[in-house]
Amino acid sequence: MEGDNVYLPHVMKIEKVIRETQNIKTFHFNFKDESQKSKFSFKSGQFAEYSIFGEGEATFCVSSSPTRMDYLEFSVMKAGKVTAAIHELQEGDEIGFRGPYGNWFPLELLEGKNLVFVGGGIGLAPLRSLIWNVLDNRDTYEDVTILYGARSPADLSFKYDLEAWEKDDAVNMYTTVDNGDEDWTGRVGLIPPVLEEIGPSPENTVAITCGPPIMIKFTLMSLEKLGFTNDQILTTLEMKMKCGIGKCGRCNIGNIYVCKDGPVFTNAQIQNFLSNEF
Amino acid sequence: MENRLKEEAGKLLKEGKVDYIVGYGKGTVNLRTSPLITNKEEDLEGLVINPFIANNLSRYPVELKGRVGIVVKGCDSRSLTSLMQDKKVKREDLIIFGVPCEGVVDLKKLAGQIGAEIDRVTDAEKEGENLTLQVDGSKKTIPFRDVIFDKCYGCEHPTPLEYDMLLGSEVAPNLDIEKSLERIKELEGMDAQERWNYWKEQFSKCIRCYGCRNVCPACFCERCFVDVNMPQWVATYATWQDNLTFQLIRTLHVAGRCSDCGECERACPVGIPLRSLQRKMVEEVKDLFGHEVGIDKDAPPVFSHYEATDPDEFMK
Amino acid sequence: MGYKKIKKDQLKTLFNELSKDCSLFVPSGSKGYVGFDPWDGNSADFTEWYRNTTIPPKALFFPPVEAMLRFRKGEAGYEIEELLPNGRPQIVFGVRPCDARALKITDTLFSDTYRDPYYLTRRENATIVGLACNEPCDTCFCTSLDISPGESQDVDLLCSDIGDELLMEAVSDKGEDLLSKMSGLSEASGEEESKAKQLGDSAKEKITRQIDTSGLLDKMRSSFENREYWEDVSRKCMSCGICTYVCPTCHCFDICDENNKKDGKRVRNWDSCKFPLFTRMPMENPRHEKWRRIRQRYHHKFEYFQMNFETIACTGCGRCIRECPVNVDVTEIIGGIQAL
Repeated sequence: MEGDNVYLPHVMKIEKVIRETQNIKTFHFNFKDESQKSKFSFKSGQFAEYSIFGEGEATFCVSSSPTRMDYLEFSVMKAGKVTAAIHELQEGDEIGFRGPYGNWFPLELLEGKNLVFVGGGIGLAPLRSLIWNVLDNRDTYEDVTILYGARSPADLSFKYDLEAWEKDDAVNMYTTVDNGDEDWTGRVGLIPPVLEEIGPSPENTVAITCGPPIMIKFTLMSLEKLGFTNDQILTTLEMKMKCGIGKCGRCNIGNIYVCKDGPVFTNAQIQNFLSNEF
Repeated sequence: MENRLKEEAGKLLKEGKVDYIVGYGKGTVNLRTSPLITNKEEDLEGLVINPFIANNLSRYPVELKGRVGIVVKGCDSRSLTSLMQDKKVKREDLIIFGVPCEGVVDLKKLAGQIGAEIDRVTDAEKEGENLTLQVDGSKKTIPFRDVIFDKCYGCEHPTPLEYDMLLGSEVAPNLDIEKSLERIKELEGMDAQERWNYWKEQFSKCIRCYGCRNVCPACFCERCFVDVNMPQWVATYATWQDNLTFQLIRTLHVAGRCSDCGECERACPVGIPLRSLQRKMVEEVKDLFGHEVGIDKDAPPVFSHYEATDPDEFMK
Repeated sequence: MGYKKIKKDQLKTLFNELSKDCSLFVPSGSKGYVGFDPWDGNSADFTEWYRNTTIPPKALFFPPVEAMLRFRKGEAGYEIEELLPNGRPQIVFGVRPCDARALKITDTLFSDTYRDPYYLTRRENATIVGLACNEPCDTCFCTSLDISPGESQDVDLLCSDIGDELLMEAVSDKGEDLLSKMSGLSEASGEEESKAKQLGDSAKEKITRQIDTSGLLDKMRSSFENREYWEDVSRKCMSCGICTYVCPTCHCFDICDENNKKDGKRVRNWDSCKFPLFTRMPMENPRHEKWRRIRQRYHHKFEYFQMNFETIACTGCGRCIRECPVNVDVTEIIGGIQAL
């Protein structure tokens, strides 16, 4: 029966290609068969398997917000065979898409809370889905603080978002780079110390973080210093995936499959199953 | 022999002359032996030398960090020397125990002769020209040369060429060249179409477990070409075409390095006669370049240097 | 329905008949290894030599490579064609009790949360005819995992070899159905029934290899951080995929596209946690080191799978021990953990 096969991709059309940095691109895409669009829904934090036919599948989160369904977005750093092929995509090209998979950020737990988003590099992609989701229902949440960092000004992704949040009075926006350049007038410094300097209160607050492993590691330490408990920290894990549905075995750590049981975890959960595997 | 090995290996560990001993221990399956790799003196009691020491251990020193005392048969010693030529191991990091070898029992051949009884053999020994077995309390005698690996019939260097200590006295080659080349001759006797069909059938069985590659001491690439995907040289999944391509390229890559130890074929769970390819390549390298693998540890690897006398027919 | 029996020399006729309406697979050694091959009408003498296959019956349901879909680029862009297995009924004859249990184990995985239509379609179309073991291998340890060489509730129909005849007993409705369609059967006597039972019991006694599963879950957990142990037991491993590919419960896979953008297939193929590339990401690889991969394999089978599905993902078939070129032995590794 059609529709039953979880491995069958939808054909999607690329509507727009945005070059974010030298090796990161964002793609706006939509269902080729418009009748499928109304049947589709997802939540912030979920991911999907994207494919270039003849090259293969790769895993990325849906980086747009479910509150903005005119088109969907995903962002890709060029790193291997499939991502290189994705970077060749032009407006009008077609890709395969199956999903959404995995769990999502627990919006109901975030209601009435102060939110601190800490993103590094392309790690802002899953966070921005949630950030826009939150901002589109702004009254439901208390203070919103966003700290975003990248290696250099040229490595900052989603500059159009950063600008919008900068202008938004209801958002405390901080941007930092590890190393500035002659045109850079903003903050220079690694994310963890900047976070400590900003010093958000853990009181009625949830921190949501995503970025490269080394950044996550030190960000968690800083959050701990600031008094955040493991239950107050959410993160999305990256692990090699293939099937996306808890069968192929690749993303298995402990008794969880990152794809099926995650990718969103509290730090308490992560401490529990990561043990000393990584 | 075993006792001398245990004693000498123990000394090496105790005196800190090596970090690991790599030898053979009793296997957990009847008659089988197992690589025994240890840095603990008490484990050395388990060292064995017998007609069932099938593994080529020469791959281990490449992976182990430090100095290694290693047990080798004739074919293994040539693999090890070839690894020295390729600078994958250093002679000074090795203490080599050479085992003169009269052939190693191919347990598949033995099972072919005695069937399920092989599980019930309580004792097996080479006595003269025979392998004597104790099965269900009675003695069984099988001509030793009927159950050794095919490679052994063509073994020109049963005594290791490179060693620090020889365990036992030298063994003269006991060649049966015709028998050793039987399968190659059979293949050469086929016409091209027949041969193509034969290999197509064989490589249709391959499940890409990479047992052949991973046990091969000559396969030491940091990243094998099949594990590279930019560009993707061959598919990573098993199709007979890609399987064949994989194995042919592997055969070319190990040409001049393969000592015909036969580990690839022994490892193959689906019984692809891989040694036919490797043995043929050994013959070709010998014919074309007069090169025999693992003879001179100080010589450069045959395919990484040029000699004016190298054949150049392919350029004409 | 009671026990039926058939003379072994009638098997060929039976197989010819059964294979008319379905795909029949029987143990065969014709390819240079023992596997389940389509019945070719030739010889049904496998009962004389067959102990178990090298490649487990999982390969019939979860093949080494299978096409999942076809993509084609036309004027109107890409079209996707689903490539599900055809619905032809299958009979697999001669499945050992350990492997029948293994199928039940992989069933849970492939039907958990998301249905895997490729595996499950084949499973639904298949009737499993078991064959009790009279002559287990010295690598077998199924009895440690609540499996008995002489009986099975995991098959549809169970045969027992009582000499010149095979005794048959339906276990499931599918088995009843198949049994009722077979011709050339006769009623078995009570004596023959007890002979089958006796052979089963004696097979059980022949199995001496074992693992101790009591308290294993906790032991596995506490062994996790014992790096020295895992380094020790993994030292001789060559990091090939043999143990995972011959394992009847290992189910890890990869999904790849044929290298053709205009018209190609997407395939699913076996993959192995023993390969460093399995978890390699552009920036890091959590299991680059061999001991971490070995640890993952045993922990997955003996701890994680048990936590998720209440069963150990090992049936004691012994294939990994038989086929390992360097004699890595799961019973030794589990024994070592129990002794830690």
